[in-house]
Amino acid sequence: MAPTTTTKTVEEPPKETKPIPSTLAEMSESIDQTTFEQILEMDDEGDNEFSKGIVIGFFDQAETTFEKMEKCLKEEDLAELSSLGHYLKGSSATLGLTKVKDACEKIQHFGAGKDETGSTDEPDKKTSLSRIEKTLKQVKEDYKEVEAFLRKYYGEPKTSS
Amino acid sequence: MDGGQTSTSAAPAGNSSDFVRKLYKMLEDPSYSEIVRWGDEGDSFVVLECEKFTKTILPKHFKHSNFASFVRQLNKYDFHKVRQNNEENGQSPYGQNAWEFKHPEFRANSKESLDNIRRKAPAPRKQTQPSDDSVPTQQIDLLNQQIVAQQQQIQNLSDRYAQLTVDHQLMLQELLRVQKTVLNHENVIHQVMTYLLSVDARQRRDSKAAAPFQAQGQAGSTMSPSQVATMDDEPSSPLQHASKLLSDMNAEIQFNLAGLESMGEPPKNTAVVPAPAMEAASRNGVARPPPTNQAMVYSKMNGEIEPVVYPVGATNGIDPMYSEHVNNVPYPMPPKQELDETRRQFPDNRKKSANVDPGWMRNPHILLVEDDATCRQIGGKFLYSFHCHIDTAFDGLEAVNKIQDGSKYDLILMDIIMPNLDGVSACHLIRQFDRTPIIAMTSNIRSDDIQLYFQHGMDDVLPKPFTRKSLLDMLEKHLVHLKIQPGMEPPQSAASVTMAAQSSAAQSVKEDSSPGQSPVTPMNNWQSPGQFPGMAPVAPSIQQVPSQYVPATPAAAAYAVDQNGVQYPAPPVALTAAATAAAARPQPRRQLSEMSSAGEPPNIAKRPRMYAHQAQPIVNPMQATRTG
Repeated sequence: MAPTTTTKTVEEPPKETKPIPSTLAEMSESIDQTTFEQILEMDDEGDNEFSKGIVIGFFDQAETTFEKMEKCLKEEDLAELSSLGHYLKGSSATLGLTKVKDACEKIQHFGAGKDETGSTDEPDKKTSLSRIEKTLKQVKEDYKEVEAFLRKYYGEPKTSS
Repeated sequence: MDGGQTSTSAAPAGNSSDFVRKLYKMLEDPSYSEIVRWGDEGDSFVVLECEKFTKTILPKHFKHSNFASFVRQLNKYDFHKVRQNNEENGQSPYGQNAWEFKHPEFRANSKESLDNIRRKAPAPRKQTQPSDDSVPTQQIDLLNQQIVAQQQQIQNLSDRYAQLTVDHQLMLQELLRVQKTVLNHENVIHQVMTYLLSVDARQRRDSKAAAPFQAQGQAGSTMSPSQVATMDDEPSSPLQHASKLLSDMNAEIQFNLAGLESMGEPPKNTAVVPAPAMEAASRNGVARPPPTNQAMVYSKMNGEIEPVVYPVGATNGIDPMYSEHVNNVPYPMPPKQELDETRRQFPDNRKKSANVDPGWMRNPHILLVEDDATCRQIGGKFLYSFHCHIDTAFDGLEAVNKIQDGSKYDLILMDIIMPNLDGVSACHLIRQFDRTPIIAMTSNIRSDDIQLYFQHGMDDVLPKPFTRKSLLDMLEKHLVHLKIQPGMEPPQSAASVTMAAQSSAAQSVKEDSSPGQSPVTPMNNWQSPGQFPGMAPVAPSIQQVPSQYVPATPAAAAYAVDQNGVQYPAPPVALTAAATAAAARPQPRRQLSEMSSAGEPPNIAKRPRMYAHQAQPIVNPMQATRTG
């Protein structure tokens, strides 16, 4: 897979040109190896249908969620943003997609009117929104990175949208 | 007045009664002969004119004019009316209205015999008669009274019993509440300790290379291996002491309360009751912050076995704390075996580990309530790999409906934040009619969150994202009753069987080698808090043990060691002083098993030998004698 396979991502075309890593170890920044390997272990011998199905399912989920987040951002619906952040946090964490998970957690906190750690109140709605906007942008980048890697990993070029 | 009878009348009747004398005197008066006179035979007297007799004679002689009363009087002196049945028409020879009275001793011209006419002894006679009848009556009365009294007694007793039952229930509830409060406080203390330790560790760690340590904002995060390891270097600090005290205290408290709780919830805990202390201890061991212990446990767990995943850290840190809260479900040895196995296999052959059979007696039926498809799929897959039957619900509402519709599960894994109906509310609803263990699966594991979960009837918390191991731990913790007893499983390999077998082995050993059992057994009583101290004597044996057996906390040691020890050689660090006491447990399997199993009923006789065998080389003198 050339890096260009990611160009079709919903949100933004990838700008990075660096080659996509091919081993989990190289992705340790973004993907928690142990967690992800747990899932790989669940695959039957000889194929990776299970983990692949989950990962692909996650792609759909993530992209849908990002779209919703964009929409909520426009509507300034912080509560829903928080909820969406929580939602995607769960699945990304389950897959060990650390970066995405961390960003989603931040969005969850921002949406709840807190700072990024969720410990301090952030009374200014605008601030929260702008932080979410920024974080959302970041999380999409992070997501694209792991998506590219995982698609390559599974030899599954992106087909839809 | 004086007829031929005067002579007789001269003699006064000293003893004869007044009435009889009056009667006799009256009959001596011939002027009454038309009204009352002696009978023809002279052995009776006859009232011929009842009316006249009553009106004229009675007042004169008896000062009244009541014939009936006169008759009564006669009866009292045993006069009897002569029945006129001697003739066919039933008529008296003296006329239809005549009343003839007769007494054997009352005869004309026989004044002396009047003395023999006595008033019937009313009392004695009446008494005797009734007494004959009344004997049974009285007895019956008596019996009746007794019965009534007994009934009252029974009533009182049953009332009292009911009252006591209610009181007991109330006490129980109260105690459980107190227990919960205590545990909550403990949790708080633990968290504070953990936090303090983390701060402490962080300071010390500065110079050292910091392992990737993801701040979860959670207590658990503090336990990253590096930290722990660093802490380990510090031999003793006030914190250590504090935490040690804490854990010791916990072990005892836990122990005491465990029994109670089991009383309160018999169905759930019955299987579990025997080893609460163990569990508590192990839990504490893991959870509690004492640096030395942790160091051992975590350095291996996180560092080697499960290269730190942020979730893992959190799990280890938090789960144990709150698990105490829940059911005091003791960790049986067997489950650990599985872990062993899995662990062992992970590095070697991943694929194989995927379908480890945890050894259920039957496949547990699990309800997985999770709105997120990814989590649901993975969780389901993990559960499947643990040989569980899985049912899923998309949200709390569906879960409640399923339970309400009568679906029976052994365990419910419940996400917290879900559309329609959140997990806490769902749990609350389910708790109105069902006691199936419910595990909160959530990433919201701040202490107040967790408090809330427990308040609403959840049994435990599985921090998200869960790992396969943390999930399996949770299953084994709450489904102990479904596990096949260790003794039943065929030994798979020395390593894998080790811990599982221990208990059974111990039992058998104990059984077989009766002579030796005495010295150690008392100390080792499974449930007694004293068990830890009791192990101390054995500690020396540790030295002989290959380093792989790394002691953890006293209680937890067994597991930790087993889990890790088998495949992951323990870092030498492990053998710290603190560890030694605890460590005594793990290494020589036999020994450990003996101790722990002392309290249990012996299951399998054959097992022990195997172990005894195996253990021999590392056995210390004490053991050796016993085994021999």
